[in-house]
Amino acid sequence: MSDLLPRQADVIVIGGGVIGASVAYHLSRKNLDVLVLEKSDFASGTSSACDGMVFLQSKKPGVHLELAMASRKRFDDLAEELDSDIELRSNGGMITIRSEAELQAVKCLAEEQKRIGLDVSLLDGRQAMDLEPCLSGEILAAAFCPLDAQVNPIYLTLAFLKAAKRHGARLFSRTPVGAIHVKGGRIHAVSTPRGVVESKTVVNAAGVYAPQVGKMVGLDVPITPRRGQVLVTEPLPSILTRCLLSAKYLAAKYDPGLVGGENPGISIEQTRNGNFLLGSTREFVGFDKRTTPEAMKKILAETTLIIPRLRDAHLIRTFAGLRPYTPDGLPILGRVPSVEGFIMAAGHEGDGMALSPITGQLMAELIADGKPSISLEPLGLERFSLPEPS
Amino acid sequence: MIRKTSDVTVVGSGFSGLVAAHILAKRGLRVLLVDENVRMGGQLLRSLPRSGGSSGTGGLRRYGFCLIDLVKKESIEILNRTKVLDVDEQKVLLLEREEKEILSVESDVVLLATGARERFMPFKGWTLPGVISTGAAQILMKGSGVLPARKMLVSGAGPFLLAVAAEYLRNHGKLLSVLDRGGVADKLLLLAHGLWDLPKVVEGALHLAVIFMARVPLHHRTTVVEARGCGELDTVVAAKVSKDGGILEGTERTYRTGCLAVGWGFTPNIELPQLAGCALEWDGSMGGWVVKVGEDLETSVHGVFAAGEMTGIAGALKSIHEGEIAAYGILKKLGREMDSNRLGRLKRKRSRDLRFGLHFNRLSRLPDRAFLSIPDDVIICRCEDVTMGHIRKAVNEGYDTPATIKRALRIGMGNCQGRTCAPLLYDILSALTERASKDIPLLSARTPVKPVAIRSFLE
Amino acid sequence: MTQDLRIPSVPRGPKIKVLVNGREVVAYQGETVLAALIAAGRRTLRKSHRRGEGRGPLCGMGVCYECLVSINGRANQRACMTEVEDLMEIGVDDSKDQ
Repeated sequence: MSDLLPRQADVIVIGGGVIGASVAYHLSRKNLDVLVLEKSDFASGTSSACDGMVFLQSKKPGVHLELAMASRKRFDDLAEELDSDIELRSNGGMITIRSEAELQAVKCLAEEQKRIGLDVSLLDGRQAMDLEPCLSGEILAAAFCPLDAQVNPIYLTLAFLKAAKRHGARLFSRTPVGAIHVKGGRIHAVSTPRGVVESKTVVNAAGVYAPQVGKMVGLDVPITPRRGQVLVTEPLPSILTRCLLSAKYLAAKYDPGLVGGENPGISIEQTRNGNFLLGSTREFVGFDKRTTPEAMKKILAETTLIIPRLRDAHLIRTFAGLRPYTPDGLPILGRVPSVEGFIMAAGHEGDGMALSPITGQLMAELIADGKPSISLEPLGLERFSLPEPS
Repeated sequence: MIRKTSDVTVVGSGFSGLVAAHILAKRGLRVLLVDENVRMGGQLLRSLPRSGGSSGTGGLRRYGFCLIDLVKKESIEILNRTKVLDVDEQKVLLLEREEKEILSVESDVVLLATGARERFMPFKGWTLPGVISTGAAQILMKGSGVLPARKMLVSGAGPFLLAVAAEYLRNHGKLLSVLDRGGVADKLLLLAHGLWDLPKVVEGALHLAVIFMARVPLHHRTTVVEARGCGELDTVVAAKVSKDGGILEGTERTYRTGCLAVGWGFTPNIELPQLAGCALEWDGSMGGWVVKVGEDLETSVHGVFAAGEMTGIAGALKSIHEGEIAAYGILKKLGREMDSNRLGRLKRKRSRDLRFGLHFNRLSRLPDRAFLSIPDDVIICRCEDVTMGHIRKAVNEGYDTPATIKRALRIGMGNCQGRTCAPLLYDILSALTERASKDIPLLSARTPVKPVAIRSFLE
Repeated sequence: MTQDLRIPSVPRGPKIKVLVNGREVVAYQGETVLAALIAAGRRTLRKSHRRGEGRGPLCGMGVCYECLVSINGRANQRACMTEVEDLMEIGVDDSKDQ
């Protein structure tokens, strides 16, 4: 517990959530000397306050979906690779549709996704109910993708960290970063209450706190916390095999105009342990992580319409996660030209879990090999056209 | 959603809640009295509706049942089978009534009087059907007039064992033995300290007399090491313990029984005050984590008071006195007059009650060695089947707080929301990581404070 | 035989009938479902969801959530916190019933 902070590291990763953990793991596999600095406890922030969905259908066609598909491939062997159970369930996922308007919108999306090579099929209500008998007749249709999956978010994060440690990474929790020292336009050290660490490379994987880290080097990082409330039921017999997102959930993610802002849509997942995770909301309330009666009412009303059997269940727990939201819904990945050695790996909104393997992989390729296997050009911080630091 | 208002909302209708509600109502305040149970009375006033107050009931119970009648006569709004789910910064309470509907209540003052629950010390096989708590045995007998079993063994620590043993014998149950982890000297010490409290001494002596007259062996420095059975309890193995808590090899004895009642004292239900933002403090001599209150029993949150076992485990008298003290504190807060002479006398009585609690609780405190010697395969979190071995491994891997262990192992994520395992986890961590109990950070409280039926939220 | 578990000296409410796994069992108004089940000789009420091991009541006061049974078709109800009602249908998951 009172390990001494090293004086030097090849790479300092700021943030011990799933992104920081994956980055640290992938870097350690490249034989780099990695130091992870987490201000609180590992996996204690957004990574422990989310559902575990690994959805491809919910990703924007383009680089977002491209990243997601590459990431998804990694999940199949990840448990073995990390030598840890991550409770992966690959039964596919459904986007539930309840109106003609939603049907049209999802049809369009599905066409675009199919063009990129995603296996999505449109089911009618009857077919959806055949697949998942617990669904109610409220479902008009559903888009189904067999690749959609679910994991245990906390186990995934801790698994990355454990594997990173096994490969030589040094992990420090309860160690906030106070300052990042830049000399002549390049990173050279990081200060913490436990001492100073010299390094030429810093990865900002601080999620909703990435703006605070960015400020330390004079950068404006446009990440805003967006609260998502999740309700947890008691463990129930296996009722739902696949994960569900409502069409409105997708719309709320990308285009609030479609839903009139009121309805954030719902997400339903039954974990391997048997609990249902019912979500969600999309609220800009700063760093407030409370669960509200209004949200509970809305989420329960909607989810019980889709799975009526839930009416007989009990809520035993709630939590709220702060999604790191960016203005265009895409994460901020890659080097920041104005500060040499400063690398962004944050802003995954609600896709942190799904994109964690590819993010870690790309950051490691970038840092160790100089060339990521997917171009990070569309994802750089510069795309927000923010003024350079003086 | 139904919205209500009240001058004072009292959560919990045990002794302290009843006393406070009664006084406040008599002074003309609008009182809302909420309790999760079907009936009022908390743990100490359980009875079959027809029998309440009759047949072999002690003075305190008679007083309690009278009080319930008086409370019913006042214009207090009584909501039974009603749970508190949440409390916000404005002290607005979110309630679930009868698993049917959600209400919100806005009050000038909230009095939390949600009492205490039993502590557990796990052993191999403690999850077998047939192993119950001493409280459960008492509630079955007093609340429903049913014996827990024809034959029973009682074990654990603390004076409550004797009360349950005696009650069981009075109802003609076949009590095999009482196995107390504490020593005789501890009991004598309690007696010495409690001598000014004659009723309590007499009560204890009566229990002992009943046990003695029935020729039931009472063994000290003895604890259960294993409960055995094929799917259900049929055998209990007990052994002697040394002064520092270690099991003495070669002292095992076996009992054939289908029912074992165990108890190790009580700990306050602090989840609701925690959610309300009330400051808590750790006090091992008062049952563990308790709600911090001022002299008037106001907590660190303005307008939120706490009374009864929540401020410290010390029995019915303290709850009764604190109910009154809180009522006066609330009257004062609301600008009403109250009898300060009486308040002064009550505060002195409370000091004595607290002293009693100190010694009472000392009898249930277990040394670190007791937690350190829990075998690996013993379940700690019954809801999620997390074992002592899982916890040891996690601690070795660097998980050192209840929150980090909860995340890694799922301990505390089940239906009971950690009520059974958390007090145990805190003690285990304190022993394993050699930190004082007060330095073990509590698991955080979130809404819903108690599991809530989804249908209650639906129109 | 197990009717003996009811304490004779305690005055009870009216006798009623409840169904436990479809079988009629005697109960008395005012008792908890748990008390009626104990009096009917039941100790195992459900299976733990991880290991599938038999569980019965522990705390008796609504805290531990071990005594979960189904009541009138609704699952996961605490037997110790519910009072019996005439013709109440109680479902207990005990492998001994098979």
